Amino acid sequence: MTLQDLEQDPATAGTRRPSGVLPAWLPSWAAPTAVTVAAASAAAVLWSVDPNEPGHYPTCPFLAATGLYCPGCGTLRATHDLLHGDVAGALARNPAVLLALPYLLLALVTWFRRSAGHPAPRSTSLPPAVIWGLLAAITVFWVVRNLPGFDWLSPA
Amino acid sequence: MSQTPPSYGGDDSNNQGGAYGAPPSGPQYGYGGGGPQGTPPPNHLVWAILSTLFCCLPLGIVSIVFAAQVNSKWTSGDAAGAQESSRKARTFALWSTIIGAVFVVLYIILFAAGVMSMDTTVNQY
Repeated sequence: MTLQDLEQDPATAGTRRPSGVLPAWLPSWAAPTAVTVAAASAAAVLWSVDPNEPGHYPTCPFLAATGLYCPGCGTLRATHDLLHGDVAGALARNPAVLLALPYLLLALVTWFRRSAGHPAPRSTSLPPAVIWGLLAAITVFWVVRNLPGFDWLSPA
Repeated sequence: MSQTPPSYGGDDSNNQGGAYGAPPSGPQYGYGGGGPQGTPPPNHLVWAILSTLFCCLPLGIVSIVFAAQVNSKWTSGDAAGAQESSRKARTFALWSTIIGAVFVVLYIILFAAGVMSMDTTVNQY
């Protein structure tokens, strides 16, 4: 019985969870739609306001406090480059953004599918080793991009 | 905020048929009904990744740790522990987002107040 319950893989079932943020009378697609609109708005700002110009955006707080790069340093410039079609430029600023983007887009698509009642995989069905591996990769990336000789990973 | 490591003792059962690592062992459902039935708690992985990359704070990485714990504990049968890790993953992602947002708002206010200007921040980073 219990084995069969798991065979159905609740992680991929089209179950909806109350978001706890939006009021219940809103349709289920309201939350993913709101996030999409917000992301598109942020992308529009980032497309038009160049983060390569000092003073346009705040410096990374971690970099300002410690003088070290964090895994997110260069994200704005990398995204700006991507929005302008400059993949090589984005890779030079922060390769993690390029790697994360397909997953983030997939997560958005599956969110929409679930909100429409369709089954879609979610991150809870990932093998734990995948997420632990992601953690290890980000930690290594964090350290290495601060080391001399790894300028190609640094956002500068 | 101390975090006890997930229990992988014999009381946990892996009901995934060994698909996720350790083969099933020990009696089933030592957690007294708290075994992995139904929907696993959210691990907030997307939020954790977003806050790691866009909030510029190491807090996001802590959130990824707890996201991984959610999946680990759930597949090892520890539903209660998975819930707890889920809550912590959410808390850290939330604080990372809040602090990042406060930082941006402060920055904008300082700009508007003329405390900082574009020219003086050149070559500061």
